[in-house]
Amino acid sequence: MVSLTRSGDRTIEEKEALLGYALIAPALVLIAAVILYPVLYNVYLSFTVVPLRPDEAPQWIGLEHYYNLFGSSAFWSALRTTIVFTFFSTTLATLGGLGTALLFNRSFRGRRYIRGMVLLPYVAPLISVAFVWRFMLDPLYGIFPYLGSDVLGLYAGSIDILSNGDTAIWSVILIDAWRYFPFAFLMLIARVQAIPGDMYEAAKIDGASKLAQFKDITLPELKYILATVFLLRWIWNFNKFADIWLLTRRVETLPIYAYQVAFANYQHGQAAAISMVLFLALIVFVLAYVAWALDW
Amino acid sequence: MSTKQSTYRHVVDSFKTALGLGESTLETSLAERVVFYVALGLTLLITLFPFYYMALASLLPESSLYSLPPTLIPQDLTLEHYRTVFGPETFPFLTYFKNSFVIATTTAGASVLVATFGAYSFARLDYRGRGVISRGVLMVYMFSGILLVVPMFQVIVWLGFVDSLASLFVTYLVQTLPVSLYMLGNYFRSIPEEIEEAAIMDGYSRLEVIFKITLPLSAPAIVAVFFFTFMIAWNEYLFASIFLQSQSVFTLPIGIEALSSSFRQVWGQIMAASLLTSVPLIVMFTYLEKFMVEGLTFGAVEG
Repeated sequence: MVSLTRSGDRTIEEKEALLGYALIAPALVLIAAVILYPVLYNVYLSFTVVPLRPDEAPQWIGLEHYYNLFGSSAFWSALRTTIVFTFFSTTLATLGGLGTALLFNRSFRGRRYIRGMVLLPYVAPLISVAFVWRFMLDPLYGIFPYLGSDVLGLYAGSIDILSNGDTAIWSVILIDAWRYFPFAFLMLIARVQAIPGDMYEAAKIDGASKLAQFKDITLPELKYILATVFLLRWIWNFNKFADIWLLTRRVETLPIYAYQVAFANYQHGQAAAISMVLFLALIVFVLAYVAWALDW
Repeated sequence: MSTKQSTYRHVVDSFKTALGLGESTLETSLAERVVFYVALGLTLLITLFPFYYMALASLLPESSLYSLPPTLIPQDLTLEHYRTVFGPETFPFLTYFKNSFVIATTTAGASVLVATFGAYSFARLDYRGRGVISRGVLMVYMFSGILLVVPMFQVIVWLGFVDSLASLFVTYLVQTLPVSLYMLGNYFRSIPEEIEEAAIMDGYSRLEVIFKITLPLSAPAIVAVFFFTFMIAWNEYLFASIFLQSQSVFTLPIGIEALSSSFRQVWGQIMAASLLTSVPLIVMFTYLEKFMVEGLTFGAVEG
């Protein structure tokens, strides 16, 4: 951007372009400084040992963190947990959202208000939602352990669902699906309503059952938006930290593993390597998924 | 022409939806309606029960909170937990609330300010590299918090912002920018360009057009984006848990978590604090709902 004093000689197009750059510049500078720079710095840190004292420079060690990672069983187990958590929570949230969207695809009294209520789990603060679930699952006074073990006798009452390695992951998956199905619902409801009603009328005249109508009309009409919702939720769940961390310390996904290595063990370089692997795994998944979804 | 028609149809459809005229229900049988209402009831039960339980637990006296079977329909209610939450003895809830409010308001305000001009630039001004830049900004959205947390910690230490709200201001401002840019850009594009062109014909400069026409027309959307970024900042846990160390600067998520790790059973107070934490977001949501369901891509906020 040269001196603006000469702006009188510029054409309108040039002035517009200059204004365009000027208006976007603050946003770009901030994003470059506080997102792009840290991301690149993270790449560098993943090849170093980061000293505890901030005035000492990181020490270059090359690929050692990555070798350590691929040789450690904790890493592979965290990767497996991440994939299980992401797959099931994403699938359940998407299916729940689809079911609710189909349910709301008709008129009934109070539809608007009820639709608003269905969005509540997604809108309420994470901290509140996490703690009410922790209270409801509390082994001593929680309502779900009471129902599950004292009333229905499904399991021995002494198990703390959120602190038990086997049950914790499934609880977290279900709670995550509960919190985010409204997002899928929100994305899907507009598309469900946009499906022309005469398509169903024609199918009905041809004698197609409800199930056939769903399979041959609804699903094909929704497949791209379903694929998009699934992808977005997959990306967000893959990186999920706080939702899991606030519920339990017994579900160790990659983000949680990285957090603990960085801020409990103070191995920042190692943690940087974990988050790099997390990021690259996600990119590979997204590319493969997009290639698959596009020629679906 | 075709875009005009589709906007028109969109408007008609959204009115129909709002009035509940979307699909006809005339031909449904009794059995179908029973199944429908049972399914709807179950959906509502699953969705709302935790909120009912939160409100209930915040009002129950200790004696019925910690006894079996759990109380579902209360006999007597008490405001004791709320009194404790607002009192200074157990934990400084009001300080946390104030910190969260200050950080959410300032970041949302700054994010909207920076994003409004940036989004206008993306939506209306023509220059080389615009497409690449606007797509690049969206790609930035792919970088998760966990990828940024280690290097950002180093940056915050270097800036000397550890244990101050300034660390969160910087982090949240920039992390909400891509969403704000995206949502506002979409909104600006939905304003008919003819209005702005007519004003330019009348001798308005581009900046005058922005301030006197586009911004007033977009006021509802700008408020909506403000609320959305407020909600993101209000909820944020990861960075706050690392950058903040002393109680006096804790935000609500960190403060409530700290309360829960005390050795006494304090579920009543935690539930009261959780409910109070939800209030601002639910109030904002009543305003935001129409933006979310109208498919203006307003719902696609990371979560």
